[in-house]
Amino acid sequence: MSVLKKPDLTDPKLRAKLAKGMGHNYYGEPAWPNDLLYIFPVVILGTIACVVGLAVLDPAMLGDKANPFATPLEILPEWYLYPVFQILRVVPNKLLGIAIQTMIPLGLMLIPFIEGFNKFQNPFRRPVAMAFFLFGTVLTVYLGIGACLPIDKSLTLGLF
Amino acid sequence: MRRSITFLFAFSFLLLSVLVVPKATFAYPFWAQQNYENPREATGKIVCANCHLANMKTQAEVPQSVGADSVFKAVVKIPYKSGLQEIGADGSDVPLQVGALVMLPDGFKLAPQDRWTDSIKEETQGVYFTQYSEEQENIIIVGPLPGDQNKEIVFPILSPDPHKDSNIHFGKYSIHVGGNRGRGQVYPTGEKSNNNIFISPAEGIISDIKAGENGARIINIKSKNNEEINTETIPAGPNLIVSIGDSVASGDRLTDDPNVGGFGQLDTEVVLQDPLRVLGLLTFFAGVTLAQIMLVLKKKQVEKVQAAEGI
Repeated sequence: MSVLKKPDLTDPKLRAKLAKGMGHNYYGEPAWPNDLLYIFPVVILGTIACVVGLAVLDPAMLGDKANPFATPLEILPEWYLYPVFQILRVVPNKLLGIAIQTMIPLGLMLIPFIEGFNKFQNPFRRPVAMAFFLFGTVLTVYLGIGACLPIDKSLTLGLF
Repeated sequence: MRRSITFLFAFSFLLLSVLVVPKATFAYPFWAQQNYENPREATGKIVCANCHLANMKTQAEVPQSVGADSVFKAVVKIPYKSGLQEIGADGSDVPLQVGALVMLPDGFKLAPQDRWTDSIKEETQGVYFTQYSEEQENIIIVGPLPGDQNKEIVFPILSPDPHKDSNIHFGKYSIHVGGNRGRGQVYPTGEKSNNNIFISPAEGIISDIKAGENGARIINIKSKNNEEINTETIPAGPNLIVSIGDSVASGDRLTDDPNVGGFGQLDTEVVLQDPLRVLGLLTFFAGVTLAQIMLVLKKKQVEKVQAAEGI
């Protein structure tokens, strides 16, 4: 078991911080040097090993030369734009497409205000915000997968 | 004596049938070779799709990585229901044929026969590979072959050696694969084949259906007002779904769709790998693992000191 520092509850400063819901980094496993000097490099080395391994075993490929006069058969943007691309692709008219694209940042701006009155941090005690978040995540993943499928299958994901 | 006469009779009958009704055994990929210098258009479309209009699935299996100057197999799968028949050029039912095209990266080519392994020899029996053109060794075509025995076509491929040819480099390259089953809908000249839906050229009422040459049907479509007669000739093969007296609009179907085949293409990729790089990678991994273990051990040691000092 690692070294654990106990909280000094006789220290009024720490007690004041704990009362405010802060000060959790004054006890437990010391960050320096236990974590920062010894465990961080382990993780960093592991990450570098993963990246180097991928670079050697599955290197990046040069695609076809770009040609502005030839639209590829299947067009797809970068992966992080798949969900919005799917929206643009299935919406029947351009104005509606622009309107829905505008809704995305507007919807994101709403996030801090949804259930903003709730004093709890625990996600299980913020049911409305949690429901919105989960719905958004599922919708994004669904749209993202749909963008990779042919358009006639993209809404049902070819399941029905 | 009688036996030999029967044999002779049967033989001559066979020969005659081959001569009179020649099966279209040669050369649909040959049409692509004649008409296109490069079988892949700038949009990424493989030119087979210009005549084989229906879209059906094609699958390909290639190794994730191959070494330099080594022989490996690329498998093209052209699935369809076994025993399926389509209409031939004369309208009769014939079994489907398949064909495939593999566009390899520069420097890759068909493996020479003396380097084929026994399993490759067995799997490629009866398959004849040709390169697309004189100077394009990296594009290999196959077909037409009887489809029922060749739903999986194995291409034996030789990878290039970057140490011998300075134009070739280790890395990842894309492979374009096309696979087709069945006859096309358009000839390279632009004419429709009989493996097609035929549509009405004009609005009107079908006034007459006459038999034409070679089982063709000639449909007269009389327009409603000015008595103009449009004719559409439908070759043997597709079944009519209209009869005399039906009124049709321009573009309405006159026949069912006899086509059961289709073409599919996909892009896949292969890594031309240097064994030295893999060896270097493994050494690096061993070093990383050792470093991680040492760091954890050092941490344990420091913890002992901390416990003794009472942190």
